[in-house]
Amino acid sequence: MPQQVKRLIIVFAIFIVSFLIMRQILTPKTFGELGHYRALSIKENAMKEMHYAGAAKCVKCHDDIHLDKSLGFHAKLKCEVCHGPALKHVLYADKFAGKDLPDSLLLYKPDKRTDCALCHEKNAARIKIVFDTIDNTMIKQVNTMKHNLVDKNTKEELKCIDCHNPHQP
Amino acid sequence: MASAFIPFDGVLFASEPPKGKGKWYGIGIDINKCIGCGKCASACKLENNVPKEPFYFRSWVEQYTIKNDGTVNVESPNGGIDSFKQSVPDNEIFKSFFVPKMCNHCAKSPCTQVCPVGATYETPEGVVLIDDNYCIGCRYCVQACPYGCRYIHPDKGTADKCTLCFHRLQKGLQPACFEICPTEARIYGDLNDPGSKLNYFLKNHTCMVIKPNLNTGSKLFYNALSPEVR
Amino acid sequence: MQNHIQDLYEVLSKVEGYVYPNEIELNWSILIVLYPYITGLVAGAFILASLERIFKLHILKPTYGLALITALSFMLVATLPLVSHLGKPMRAYEIMITPHLSSAMAIFGFVYLWYLMVVLLLEIWFDYRRDMIIWAGETTGFKRFLYRALSLWTTDISPKAVALDDKLGYIVTVIGIPSAFLLHGYVGFIFGSIKANPWWSTVLMPVIFLFSAMVSGIALVMFIYINLTRIRKVKIDMACLDMIAKYLFYFLIIDFTLEGLDQIHRIYVAEESFEALHKLVFGKLFFTLFIMQGLLGTIVPLLTLGTLQFFKPKEQIRKVIYMVVAALILMGIFFMRWNVVIGGQLFSKSFYGYTSFKIGLIGAEGYLMAAVWLIVPFFILAFLLWLLPPWKKKGEADEIRVA
Repeated sequence: MPQQVKRLIIVFAIFIVSFLIMRQILTPKTFGELGHYRALSIKENAMKEMHYAGAAKCVKCHDDIHLDKSLGFHAKLKCEVCHGPALKHVLYADKFAGKDLPDSLLLYKPDKRTDCALCHEKNAARIKIVFDTIDNTMIKQVNTMKHNLVDKNTKEELKCIDCHNPHQP
Repeated sequence: MASAFIPFDGVLFASEPPKGKGKWYGIGIDINKCIGCGKCASACKLENNVPKEPFYFRSWVEQYTIKNDGTVNVESPNGGIDSFKQSVPDNEIFKSFFVPKMCNHCAKSPCTQVCPVGATYETPEGVVLIDDNYCIGCRYCVQACPYGCRYIHPDKGTADKCTLCFHRLQKGLQPACFEICPTEARIYGDLNDPGSKLNYFLKNHTCMVIKPNLNTGSKLFYNALSPEVR
Repeated sequence: MQNHIQDLYEVLSKVEGYVYPNEIELNWSILIVLYPYITGLVAGAFILASLERIFKLHILKPTYGLALITALSFMLVATLPLVSHLGKPMRAYEIMITPHLSSAMAIFGFVYLWYLMVVLLLEIWFDYRRDMIIWAGETTGFKRFLYRALSLWTTDISPKAVALDDKLGYIVTVIGIPSAFLLHGYVGFIFGSIKANPWWSTVLMPVIFLFSAMVSGIALVMFIYINLTRIRKVKIDMACLDMIAKYLFYFLIIDFTLEGLDQIHRIYVAEESFEALHKLVFGKLFFTLFIMQGLLGTIVPLLTLGTLQFFKPKEQIRKVIYMVVAALILMGIFFMRWNVVIGGQLFSKSFYGYTSFKIGLIGAEGYLMAAVWLIVPFFILAFLLWLLPPWKKKGEADEIRVA
């Protein structure tokens, strides 16, 4: 075989073999088991941290509020809609029974006008929404800039919850 | 309905056909029930550690306002997280509604097809996930998604998107946005289970997917989807 | 990172209409404009070399070696803008070990390797092996070692061995032509196959990319040839230069026709994306598309080269005109890549609005970084021309020195 061809074949052979070896070493172990991806990744995605607890967990300790809520328009609302993610609170709050909770376990208390406005601000796209097809209930809407904005006597800005009980509006 | 998901059998196709009789997740959103409170978008960010800036969303809400003169106004201020302020006066409005958006978990997903290394995939139950320990951050999948559902996480440098809260599904819990919705406008379920909430939803509503002409096998079905929605 | 977020808020303030929230940030920036540009230069320079070797246009012989070495210089740099733009560049090797075959991007690693090793390097090796052995005998020290190593320590330069070199080099060039088409065609396919993006999604995209690549590569070799002879103070082969200009003209016509066809079809058929794209083209993209790519990058060169086919002014003037035309074309093809990549991300896939593009001077994806990737190949070229000068090869016609 001519000299140059021999040398070339050697070079290419070395290259291809080292590539195949590297490929063997570098391919992740679970790759290709279920498809063209690392099967271990499914487990990794399943193990990610949760932050929301789910309403079923709140009832265990706060059944009184739950009862209150079930009698009004907010019956179907989950607690975390307004109070934010509660998983840490559910897991650790009972260790502080009777004592004050540390700040990290306290949940958000939506007492500002803007908090209620998220759902109840008057909007043309909200006007016809019927959320409960059994009762045909439509969501109440107000112009939060006008509806009872200030106390007639003290001239201070009123909060929605000054008149409306959020658990039984 | 299920026949729409059987992909054309070709080498270039990336999707995994429904494996046997296991779960096959789909999503239903009822536009007639969405009040545009933005709690779903907010819950999603809190549940999944999504960056707070308004450029990264796994799920967001849009408001469509169709005016009397025919023009369409679409907005999504901070993805709808701070809810919406009506920007067009009542007398000019022909129709207005909210459309929540999220990953469609397509059965013939274009994002899975274009990933060069195999860092995004469809699980046997039909949830499209990302392997963020393998993703190289080339952004090809972000370009390929017709619904704008993907972004590159600014800290991780890898692709990110709605996972249908896969980590919650495995524990029998609902995805955060479904859990939180005050009007139950969002539901999810098993398309292979004839008795599931989702199949009931599909049977009793007239549902459409966004951009059906692109044949993505989208499993996100909207009830009362107006033709202006993209 | 903070800067990046600041930039995004600035982009947000310039958003027109509605874009999906995730679309505010442009995903592919100037580095992704550069990659097809550089691989295009490689493919085009190679095609010019193959015009001489395969299509027997021997009048182009003075630029044969130069074209190959230019292609190699740019080829060595081609991956760098790609890898440096990745979110996780250290994982770039994954594309070689687990390529997802349904993805056009996945074949990048192998097409690149194939083209670099089997086509470019092999062809240059077969072409220069005899000369490297001769030059090794004429020098000492490190340069001698380089020559010996690069010729893989072969020693046989008998007429039979040289004839074999020639034959094998010919075969490699023949394989090289479809390989060059693949190298750049797949880049066009990467864009053309994205059905989500109507500015990119067209059957013509790979073909347009290919022909604009050929135009840019030929213009590059022409530009380098003119300036190289000036720097080296030798007489330029005017017949060769005129022939290069002629083929540049032909390919430019084809390129212009293809791009025109794409747009005419888009305008005629007017699918749902048409209104949004129309506003884009006449708005944010007007300057880069109509002025830089269209007028300066295509129409002016076409008219000039066309006129020069009939009226040939003096040699000195022709040389200057060719140089200016080559520069205009190089700039025009750069903007063609820009308009495709950046333009395709400026409008929303909802067709309801437009985002904005921000690029800085410094930073991983800034102008300076892009300039570096464009300048480094010229340094490599200078080194390679010093190591493997095409004009010193045995059998090359003697050059005429000019003052």
